[in-house]
Amino acid sequence: MLIQVRDLSKVYQMGAEVVRALDGVSLDVDAGEFLSITGASGSGKSTFMHLLGCLDKPTSGTYHLNDRDVTQMSDKELARIRNREIGFVFQTFNLINRTPAIDNVAVPLVYGRETFTNKKAMDALERVQLGKRAKHKPSEMSGGERQRVAIARAIVNNPKVIFADEPTGNLDTRTGEQIMGIFHDLHKEGTTIILVTHEMSVAAQAKRLIRMVDGVVDTDTPITPSLRNEMLHSGMFGASVLTDSGVSGGTESGVSGVTDSGSTVAAEPGVS
Amino acid sequence: MFTFRVIWMALRGLQTNMMRSLLATLGVVIGVCAVVSAMSILEGAKKDITKRFESMGADQVMVVSGSSRGRRGVQTRTNALELKDAEAILDQCDLVKAVAPEIQNAAQIKYFQKNKGVQILGTTDAYYRINEYETVEGRFIRREDVRGERKVCVLGHKVAKDLFGEVSAVGYRVKIKGTGFTVVGVMEKKGFLGFREVDNQVIVPISTAMKRLYGVRFVTMITCQAKNPSNLSAAITQIKRTLRSQHSIRAGTDDDFTVFTQEQAKKQVADVTQIFEVVLYSIAGISLLVGGIGIMNIMLVSVTERTREIGVRIAVGARRVDIMTQFLIEAAVISMIGGAVGVLVGVGLSALLERITRVLETYTPPSAIVYALVMAAGVGIVSGLYPAIRASKLDPVEALRYE
Ligand SMILES: Nc1ncnc2c1ncn2[C@@H]1O[C@H](COP(=O)(O)OP(=O)(O)O)[C@@H](O)[C@H]1O
Ligand SMILES: [Mg+2]
Repeated sequence: MLIQVRDLSKVYQMGAEVVRALDGVSLDVDAGEFLSITGASGSGKSTFMHLLGCLDKPTSGTYHLNDRDVTQMSDKELARIRNREIGFVFQTFNLINRTPAIDNVAVPLVYGRETFTNKKAMDALERVQLGKRAKHKPSEMSGGERQRVAIARAIVNNPKVIFADEPTGNLDTRTGEQIMGIFHDLHKEGTTIILVTHEMSVAAQAKRLIRMVDGVVDTDTPITPSLRNEMLHSGMFGASVLTDSGVSGGTESGVSGVTDSGSTVAAEPGVS
Repeated sequence: MFTFRVIWMALRGLQTNMMRSLLATLGVVIGVCAVVSAMSILEGAKKDITKRFESMGADQVMVVSGSSRGRRGVQTRTNALELKDAEAILDQCDLVKAVAPEIQNAAQIKYFQKNKGVQILGTTDAYYRINEYETVEGRFIRREDVRGERKVCVLGHKVAKDLFGEVSAVGYRVKIKGTGFTVVGVMEKKGFLGFREVDNQVIVPISTAMKRLYGVRFVTMITCQAKNPSNLSAAITQIKRTLRSQHSIRAGTDDDFTVFTQEQAKKQVADVTQIFEVVLYSIAGISLLVGGIGIMNIMLVSVTERTREIGVRIAVGARRVDIMTQFLIEAAVISMIGGAVGVLVGVGLSALLERITRVLETYTPPSAIVYALVMAAGVGIVSGLYPAIRASKLDPVEALRYE
């Protein structure tokens, strides 16, 4: 088991108000899976990704990555995990604009322990077909190219899992497809991909679908050809998916060992 | 290995905001410049003065007119020392081996068409014995010359060269203040002897100088040589007692003369330079403080501007200490660049001062440069500390969301 999340919560105290960004999420992910997480804005997707990406600490619950309890780790150990085992891709690329692509890709290598060479960074750039643009600065690149540089940065240390939070959110459909192509390639090479998106056409390309509602996993289902079809055509996470596959998916899939009954109850048709 | 990478990163980060960063270091530039030029001037002055004192001889006791008030500054009263005081010291002080009374004044010396401004030193044959200063041609002033008030002179090296070129001056007649003198000797090339640039000096018998040239009763200085340099203070006591009785000074009244040795003079100079040192280093300190604030400010701006970058770095595996190191190094590098500029300006400034004043000798010890750069780096690190800590404490999630 690559990822094992149990009852994970993240609570923000905003003055008198308590915001439960994540409210008891459980999830199991095997190595090599391709997940998409979808849900309405504010449903807790990013919060969940930050916890999975070891960028944030949960208020309660446990998170095992590769059978090690991440919630018990020191800052130093977490930094090492982020460096070695995780790749993060953001909606806004988050490149350092004043340095060339190659240097952006090399940033994780700076914080690694091995001898630093630019070769690994160059290899990563080649993998996203940007070898020729190594010396270009992000400001001289298109959105799609920037996101490819960001992906190269995420994969430069050959992580086991890549977390991508709305990676196509700032891109047009065609460029988004290019980016998805890269994720497919990475998945084929054995990398686990966990992808947050609100676009059904993007979400449909994964092998498994998670839907979040108000900080809980509402639906967890494998993406069958018929579900994929439905998602692609409705352009939305349709009501039929919710009522049929949604509820049954949680039990059927068998991937998620724990199906939070609470979340099933909380599922309301038509919410998207 | 790892640190080098972070340093490299930091340097890359600096490129973009170079101009702004350098402006922020103006305080450091001024501070370091002040330190370097201060050190150059002080070291130069110390070297120069020490060189002069060292030529003075550790066994010498100098007596000048005027009482010394406290330890600083001689209150000058020129009419205290007379020739007979010198004789009395030689007679009555058994710890004194030789006594050379001296009178000094400026004058024109003439040899046919050649005219030259020189310092006239009237003294006795004892001057020759006390100082390690030799003739290269002819002879020095003799006792008979002094006794007979003879119109003979010994030329300093430069004077002989300027008036006679390569030709031997001995035996020729020159005119000093219109009076004819016979050159009897030429001195070796020496540079400085005490405070005097002796190469441009013409030595005449003291009696001749006092009566025929200037018509004065008083001498400028009496140089005494102690028999035993290790017993200088006993010799000084004897000299003082002799002079007080010569001048009939009652007990409880101040001396009307001042006695000093090489050691004392050195110490006095050290005291004066120390005052300068304190003033200059205070200026430097204040400038560096201002510079430090400038750097802290620029670093805080930089941390804010690069909030997202910090978030990214943390997200891809930077530890808090890495972030902190990066910003500390940046601050140190900015400050050190400012320091390097300061060193250049400081060295340039002291060279310029030397040119303009012509008397000021400057010397920039290599240690001053190292010291200045280390100080600049220190200022950078200290003022970069708070911004760096702030950067390292950023929450990556918040940082990545920062607009
Ligand atoms: N730092 C925070 N402080 C307070 N509330 C937060 C914070 N971060 C997220 N939230 C809240 O948590 C909820 C989930 O947010 P988020 O995970 O960003 O949702 P999503 O990515 O699905 O749009 C939202 O209601 C949001 O307002
Ligand atoms: Mg989000």
